[in-house]
Amino acid sequence: MITRSSISLPSLSRRSLVVLGAGTAAGALTGLLPRTAPAAVKLDVTQGNVQPMPIALPDFTGGGLPDPAMARGVTQIIASNLQRSGLFAPIDQAAYIEKISNIDNVRFPDWRQINAQALVTGSLGRMQDGRIEARFRLWDVFAASYLGGKEYATPPDNWRRVAHLISDAIYERLTGEKGYFDSRVVFIDESGTKERRVKRLALMDQDGANVRYLTRGDDLVLTPRFSPTSQEITYMSYGQGQPRVYLLNIETGQREVVGNFPGMTFAPRFAPDGARVIMSLQQGGNANIFVMDLRSKATTRLTDTAAIDTAPSYSPNGDRICFESDRGGKQQIYVMGANGGPAQRISFGDGSYSTPVWSPRGDYIAFTKQGQGRFAIGIMRPDGAGERILTEGYHNEGPTWSPNGRVVMFFRDPGGNAGPTLHTVDVTGRNEQRVPSPGYASDPAWSPLLK
Amino acid sequence: MSRGRTISTSRREVVCFAASVAVHLVVLGWGVFTFAIKPRTADSKEAMPVDIISTADFSQLTAGARNAPQLEKAKPLADKVGERKQADDPTAKLAPKEVAAATDVPPPTPAPRPPAPAEKKQSEPKRDLIADAIKKDQVKKAEPKKADAKAPTLPKKQQEQPKFDPRKVEALLDKRTPQRVAAVGDTVNDTVSLGAPSEIAAQLSQSEIDALRARLAQLWNPPAGATNPEELVVQIRMKLKPDGTLAGPPMVLTSGRSPLFVAARDSAVRALFRGQPFDMLRPEHYEQWKDIEITFDPREMIRG
Repeated sequence: MITRSSISLPSLSRRSLVVLGAGTAAGALTGLLPRTAPAAVKLDVTQGNVQPMPIALPDFTGGGLPDPAMARGVTQIIASNLQRSGLFAPIDQAAYIEKISNIDNVRFPDWRQINAQALVTGSLGRMQDGRIEARFRLWDVFAASYLGGKEYATPPDNWRRVAHLISDAIYERLTGEKGYFDSRVVFIDESGTKERRVKRLALMDQDGANVRYLTRGDDLVLTPRFSPTSQEITYMSYGQGQPRVYLLNIETGQREVVGNFPGMTFAPRFAPDGARVIMSLQQGGNANIFVMDLRSKATTRLTDTAAIDTAPSYSPNGDRICFESDRGGKQQIYVMGANGGPAQRISFGDGSYSTPVWSPRGDYIAFTKQGQGRFAIGIMRPDGAGERILTEGYHNEGPTWSPNGRVVMFFRDPGGNAGPTLHTVDVTGRNEQRVPSPGYASDPAWSPLLK
Repeated sequence: MSRGRTISTSRREVVCFAASVAVHLVVLGWGVFTFAIKPRTADSKEAMPVDIISTADFSQLTAGARNAPQLEKAKPLADKVGERKQADDPTAKLAPKEVAAATDVPPPTPAPRPPAPAEKKQSEPKRDLIADAIKKDQVKKAEPKKADAKAPTLPKKQQEQPKFDPRKVEALLDKRTPQRVAAVGDTVNDTVSLGAPSEIAAQLSQSEIDALRARLAQLWNPPAGATNPEELVVQIRMKLKPDGTLAGPPMVLTSGRSPLFVAARDSAVRALFRGQPFDMLRPEHYEQWKDIEITFDPREMIRG
């Protein structure tokens, strides 16, 4: 409905009219001031060429070091990390033209000539107090600019860790994503014959170095899990028949029993706050999901079905969980609120889905898929869309995520007399690599970035 | 709305009205069910595959490549008519003394060419000894070389004979691999050509822009796998000198602070630096391409 009302205009005095007129005239004149003309040609580039970036890594300079090979060792660790990520292609040192003596002085044309797009110069030195000082500089060769650099001081024993930290810094600056090189992997080391496998809990750097055994091999150990907040792991151990869940502090070596859980097949996973664990407990013929507080040992039930609900995993912000359930007949993946409630099925392909693991970045859920006698490791979005298989073959299982959510590690059991081995593949499905381990290895769990 | 007068209807009119409606419905229903649209069957005519290409693709096709092999203008792909060989001057290659020994060797059996040099070579050692016997001060090393030089020239000598030997037809056949390649599949022409002649206009042409885009696409290595792809779009403005190199550092127009944006920005700037000199842009159009704004948008590449 339109109502007519009289609009009263403000009464303008002569003076204000003059001011108003002058103001608008001035405003109009400013429009005539010269502005930067828009570019004559505009074009869109929507396709690129995804290729590993050629990067030059001359040896770190180093003098007075306790171990003279340390500088070269640091360079090699960085080159190996970057290359294994699949995103970089370190250039052979034999092709380098300039010899770096001062890490701040670079002759860009020399590096352009060998088609390096990025260059890392660095130095290692010994400090007064006996610690090692490491510096690096990262350069953009074609733009002839300095991209960044850092300095670290560390005890000499820790020199490998410095190399991993530098690798992470380079990775992050050039790809925009957080790195994953300064992390460790806990796994089950298997040795001995197929009939008498000795299984020990072992810990190593993500590149396979610094292997340390955490149990002696007397008991069968399975499915270790890393805490997201502290250097603690849970794992299952079959001591006297019944499986027990242990909580082990890696730094102190202290071990405690979380509980006796008959019929459990997977060790509990940590909640993002590190204070609770989520697990599946069997009762009769079915299994349900429980959350337990690690300190008080109080448990809360989350599912109550006649089906087998197992292998739960938290989302990185702790508000949802994904788990495996056969309530629909076959094993499928479901997502549910972290406090229980209705569960929504997200897997719909051919085959049965199991061991879902939520990525630390929250954008994917990794899983094992079985069908027609083949095992595949795949990822899908948390709503079930975009399912993609990363690797397929006989008996691939047990995915675990790198701290930056870009790489998935799993184990592959070829069957027969050979034992299982660890492998990584990145989320695009490319760049599958074998992870070196002292013997056979299974059930990997990737730690968060070390602090 | 004005109310109309109520119309009084008689019983007969009601009956007729109802009958009319019923008949209409019957006729329409029959029409619906009998005149059902039949699905069109495809005509079994020969279908010709047609490719619809955009102007960008067309200029890419006709642009060719700079490093394509230079072909002569008219290259006739005819079958071999007959090889015209220069009549070798046999005396130039043979040492005077050996001529007598060579012609004494009986002509080889008319077998295809490959065994002929072998046979020639087999007879060579005999002749070598003869030659050595004739000329003792000759260096032995020179012999095998001369023998090789002799062997190819001798079969040629045989071919110069005007007599046509039907058993030697195979030796005359063209043994080159067939040059003509059937045009099947999607590619019409596999060989890269130097490009079709394009008209040089006063206006900066679409094909120049496409060539620039193609080079940047080749050199641009964007970060992959972002959760928020919008932050990867980078707008850059570059000013060029007449020789096609950058007049100064490119100006990045989009702003952002996240590490992903920084990596995306750097990859775009790097592509511009690496692409110098932009020689696909013609000097006569410099006024138009001296200032170019480029939007690098990887969202199409990142799917899922």
